[in-house]
Amino acid sequence: MKRKILAALLASTMVLSLAGCGSGSSDSSTAAPAEDGAAAAEEEAAPAEDTGDAAAEETAASGDQTLTVWCWDPAFNMNAMYEAEKVYQQDHPDFALNVVETPWEDVQTKVTTAAASGDLSTLPDILLMQDNAFQKNVISYPDAFLDLTSSGVDFSQFAAGKTAYSVVDGKNYGVPFDNGAVIGCYRTDVLEQAGLTVDDFTDITWDQYIENGKKVLDATGKPLISMQAGECDLIMMMLQSAGSSLFNEDGTANIVNNDTLKVVMETYKALKDSGVLVEVNSWDEYVGSFVSGDVAGTINGCWIMASIQTAEDQAGNWAITNMPSLVGVDGATNYSNNGGSSWAVTANCQNTELAYDFLASTFAGSAELYDNILSSGALATWAPAGDSDAYGVGNDFFGGDAVSAKIVDFSTKVPSNITGVYYYEARDAVATAITNYINGSDIATELQTAEDTVNFNMGQ
Amino acid sequence: MSKPSKKMTLNKKHNITGWLFLAPGALLILFMSFVPMGRALVLSFKTGVGAAMKSCGLMNYTRMFQDTVFVQSIKNTFFYLIIQVPIMLIFALILASILNNRQLRFKGLFRTMIFLPCATSLVAYAVIFRSLFANNGIVNWVLVNLGILDQPYSFLTNVWSARIVIIIALLWRWTGYNMVFYLAGLQNIEYSVYEAAKIDGASAIQSFFKITVPLLKPTILLTAIMSTNGTLQLFDESVNLTDGGPANASITMSHYIYNVSFKYVPNFGYAAAMSFLILILVAILAFLQMKVGDKRD
Repeated sequence: MKRKILAALLASTMVLSLAGCGSGSSDSSTAAPAEDGAAAAEEEAAPAEDTGDAAAEETAASGDQTLTVWCWDPAFNMNAMYEAEKVYQQDHPDFALNVVETPWEDVQTKVTTAAASGDLSTLPDILLMQDNAFQKNVISYPDAFLDLTSSGVDFSQFAAGKTAYSVVDGKNYGVPFDNGAVIGCYRTDVLEQAGLTVDDFTDITWDQYIENGKKVLDATGKPLISMQAGECDLIMMMLQSAGSSLFNEDGTANIVNNDTLKVVMETYKALKDSGVLVEVNSWDEYVGSFVSGDVAGTINGCWIMASIQTAEDQAGNWAITNMPSLVGVDGATNYSNNGGSSWAVTANCQNTELAYDFLASTFAGSAELYDNILSSGALATWAPAGDSDAYGVGNDFFGGDAVSAKIVDFSTKVPSNITGVYYYEARDAVATAITNYINGSDIATELQTAEDTVNFNMGQ
Repeated sequence: MSKPSKKMTLNKKHNITGWLFLAPGALLILFMSFVPMGRALVLSFKTGVGAAMKSCGLMNYTRMFQDTVFVQSIKNTFFYLIIQVPIMLIFALILASILNNRQLRFKGLFRTMIFLPCATSLVAYAVIFRSLFANNGIVNWVLVNLGILDQPYSFLTNVWSARIVIIIALLWRWTGYNMVFYLAGLQNIEYSVYEAAKIDGASAIQSFFKITVPLLKPTILLTAIMSTNGTLQLFDESVNLTDGGPANASITMSHYIYNVSFKYVPNFGYAAAMSFLILILVAILAFLQMKVGDKRD
């Protein structure tokens, strides 16, 4: 008897756990942070949308004022969406957003899976897409995204270099969101111990950077910068700072004959060999290296400010300036871009009118929104927002400097580049090349291998 | 209990009961495993970017041998296989025979402790190993404080140390799992056999090689095939522990297949073809192991 009860219990747990697995995916799409009462209505609407039948479409078109959005950072882009919801609700009280926290890797996997299977019903109405992945996704799955060119969004008001990421065949597929202008961040108190100020790092070259870095290393034992090994963020930033790309205009790989890339690789190796740059293994370790004070600065897209500002004990000891420029390269500047993302509307959106109007009147039409999200480091690429007074206000964490205005200024000077469809392939190939080069391999051989790898990947 | 139906013989009734029990599982496996496998096979003969796929014959299969990264990933995977699987199985066997000793106290405690790693999530343990072997991780901290190293050694950015860290992680995670199979196998060996050997003057080592190993052969074969299969499909450790680095030195086949499907411009046809290569490799290796290991007929 005992055994029978046990068996029944076991069987029921298994059935329950199976059911749990099955509903897991649909849960995640509806169980979003229910911030307000309107989310309750959404919970009913979402499963209906999932089935994609005509009845659901009708209700969506007639009265449902809810949009589902995927984005990934609660402190940053999700916060921006909640603020946008508030702004839009001022004129549209029935409007509600269902913002689902979805890490970028998951967004990419889900988009690929949905588009490859031809069943788009699992996609949200709006999703945030990394600029570097935009071309790849739109060209691979043109049916999964809506052409926004005539959606009512005025794209001319965005920085041209930024919109270019989401333009395919002359059509706009994305509403630009955040700015990825590169900033050099330094611990002023550490620099002081080496007799340096942040001015010694403004408008400098990488040679001067290494020289200064050695002084800091001698005086304090701290490297100036840390980078994630095997990721070539810094390489890509250096390349773009001289207006160079891994691809030519016609889409062919530009690696072997790319003289700028050679200089970049040599500079990176010099940085590593001098001890001014230290490589770490993961993103957490990277952020930890400067938050803990082991490393005296970093260079990255301006969104890194959000991570820096988590180190509250270092408030007032940070300063921001531009990045060093490459030596001996035509067109070398102190400005570059890393990261950044844009909003895309998927073909699964049933209420396109609402989605277009929402984007046009918030991210492409509300200076108020951009003022509200400025504190989180979400700097506008929408030109009218940059005129706002909020951008001139000093930030105490960075010694009272008006960092927002500074970064907007940097972003206007960034040379544009070509991401290309095969961006991630090229990036990984170059990362392999640089790792081998640092470990003593020959630069020409490694670049040749990298180009061969990219060409191989392009020859489907 | 209801009365047995008169129309069916007992045998028939048993058969039908058996089929009824089998049917739900078999149907689920058919639709959720075999049908997708068939579709993947069809897919592996197609090529194209994203949704626009066209037939390409065997191109994907010939293409993968010109793919330097994929060839590298095959080498890496076989390196893990050749080094890690034998070490792990030997460890598991030794641990199992120690724990099988009736004189040993706290047996349950030891058994639980050795098996416990299997209860951890693959991602969680990979991430923990990553931080253990980080520049400021505990392994470097101990080595530096003991004076063995002058400064932290970057385990995960050097080719051989990265591979070795993966092997250590795999050993930690899977040895206990295999040990449980051996412990189960050992239950079927009469303890009196060991006692008889002891009376005859056999040492512990002799009885291990003359009794335990030969009698456990079917179990050893089973674990060898399962470990081979598991290692060829290694994914989580490569992704979370080393991210395939440095310079693809530790990337596994499954990790590369994932990259081709989801990180790069999606090429599902090629990815499916590479998956089938893994299937073929597993089949060949399992066949070889059965030929070598199973001498029953």
